[in-house]
Amino acid sequence: MEDTRIVDLFLARDEGGIREAADKYGNRLRQLGFHLLPDRLTVEECENDAYLAAWDSIPPHQPRDYLFPFLARLMRHKVLDQCRARRRRNEIARLTALTRELEDCIPGPDPTQELVDGMALGAALNAFLKALPEEPRNIFLRRYWFFDPVGDIARRYGLTQSKVKTTLFRTRQGLRDHLTKEGFTV
Amino acid sequence: MKADDLLNSLEHVDPELVAQAAKPPKKTPSRRPLWVGLTAVAAAASILVGIALWPGGSPAVTQAFAVAAAEYPEMAPYPSEADYLKANGDLDMDAWRACYDAWWADRKAQLDQPEGYDSGLEGYYAASLVQFLGGGGTENRVYSPLNLYFALGMLAELTDGDSRQQILDLLGQDSIETLRTQARALWNANYCDDGAVTSVLASSLWLNQDVPFVQSTLDTLADTYYASSYQGEMGSAEFNQALQTWLNDQTGGLLKESADQIKLDPETVLALATTVYYRGRWAQEFNPDNTAPDLFHTPEGDVTCDFMRQSSNSAYYWGERFSAVGKTVESSGTLWLILPDEGVSVDQLLADPEAQDFLLSNGDWDNQKHLTVNLSMPKFDVSGQMDLIEGLQAMGITDVFDPAVSDFTPMTTEVDEIYVSQATHAARVMVDEEGLTAAAFTVLAAAGGAMPPEDEVDFTLDRPFLFVLTGAAGQPLFAGVVNQPG
Repeated sequence: MEDTRIVDLFLARDEGGIREAADKYGNRLRQLGFHLLPDRLTVEECENDAYLAAWDSIPPHQPRDYLFPFLARLMRHKVLDQCRARRRRNEIARLTALTRELEDCIPGPDPTQELVDGMALGAALNAFLKALPEEPRNIFLRRYWFFDPVGDIARRYGLTQSKVKTTLFRTRQGLRDHLTKEGFTV
Repeated sequence: MKADDLLNSLEHVDPELVAQAAKPPKKTPSRRPLWVGLTAVAAAASILVGIALWPGGSPAVTQAFAVAAAEYPEMAPYPSEADYLKANGDLDMDAWRACYDAWWADRKAQLDQPEGYDSGLEGYYAASLVQFLGGGGTENRVYSPLNLYFALGMLAELTDGDSRQQILDLLGQDSIETLRTQARALWNANYCDDGAVTSVLASSLWLNQDVPFVQSTLDTLADTYYASSYQGEMGSAEFNQALQTWLNDQTGGLLKESADQIKLDPETVLALATTVYYRGRWAQEFNPDNTAPDLFHTPEGDVTCDFMRQSSNSAYYWGERFSAVGKTVESSGTLWLILPDEGVSVDQLLADPEAQDFLLSNGDWDNQKHLTVNLSMPKFDVSGQMDLIEGLQAMGITDVFDPAVSDFTPMTTEVDEIYVSQATHAARVMVDEEGLTAAAFTVLAAAGGAMPPEDEVDFTLDRPFLFVLTGAAGQPLFAGVVNQPG
């Protein structure tokens, strides 16, 4: 079913919209979950929560032309929450690997104190990513937005793993410089 | 600012950029899996019999009676979507969700155990896999690591001194207290009886009516191991019948042939029985229309058997000498299917440290790739009965088998020279199509669009292979070697 039609079902408070969304995007949402959470029950719980959150936010939102990113964002949020709440060995190892990489991008010397305005940071990230060429941008988003393992990214784009790692490293350096320029320092 | 802030703020990235990154880089035709019913059933039982060099037995009472009964946790049933359909055929989401939430709360309570509760067991799992699955020749082998763990744990409670220490050493525990904590957590994490999945570890003690037992030990066993105790006349037909009935009840009759052979001698002081019964539905089921006969290459020549077939987008795992896939059981664990590479035998694979690691990894494995897996596997029904004594002795448990050194004082101080004279383990794992009638609710729960596959692989289990069935909490409930699928 077309995304527009699915969103219309949500807007009409028709629960069939959830079923259609699950039918069309459930697999991809679960795949995102499985990158950080190994057990099926929790991933399904996140998926269900994501649909519920979508139900609660359409309306006012009407993501007719960005339904998948919209659902994936809700899913990603739930997955990160679950992952942090659960604190089990494997999940934490996967999350820690991601945050450790992103520490490269932190401009200031003291990473503990400063309160960060999420929206402002989001705007700075958007500006940075939009200015990037498509390939490094996609690689960066596959890694830190979809939590793909490096090996998967390499296969997806037909690159070697070291090429992916180098691209990610350069993008992180670039992001750090950009954030510093934007005043995100301690 | 923390790296976590960055990770969070990435959610504000423009959806258009996310959509671009989500686009598959190359297009290949998508396949939709078909969903029909199928069930996996498995059961195992361990019987450890302790006898004494003592002429016991009196023909007084012949009725077995329970002296302590274990109480299992109550669980809300899993709500079948089929029961929540409105007149127009739509799902009544609110009503279903209310029941689902109650089910999930109970399920979560069972699964939420203290962090690291299952640590220390890796050595035991690895040693017992090699010990009890290796060297089987051309026969099927199957056993339950978790079931044997509970039998050994209870034996540790009944013993002291070196007899107990040898068991604690094998199970990787410092003390009987840490073992108790772990056993209780393991039992609960693996308990499920919600109508959709049945996974029950049951234990019982069969006590000689002429022997006074230490009540506090029996209480500990009831509390920690959920073990019921029965007392009666050893060697009597009634007491044997009661034990056999208990075993059949706990294992859904799957082990009837083995259970009916269990008989206790009059000099038996105590028999310890542990069982595990597991029944679940595939999350993504096979379509029986795709099942067709084909050749399976057993070590003794080719046989024809029914192969179930399915293509799905799932993880494919590999090592130096094997490849593997996992089939998820709805709302529960996974059946891991491990195929040795051509020219590598099952025994060679069992001796390979990398393969051992995989068997116990529950899918936490670096060498994996999501792709279209064309799975072709024989329907199988494997069962095996084995004498555990030699294997346990090889793993360092010796004193309990020797009346000269065994120490059973926590159990009774009235009888000397008790030893374990019999240790039997029977297990059976069946993968069949009996769950067909229950297919309706799984169909709705499991439906989902397949992502366009980027790659494809055929995974054909047409020669001897290994399997491990993990429960929802990730521990190995069953492990086996399939040499003859029939």
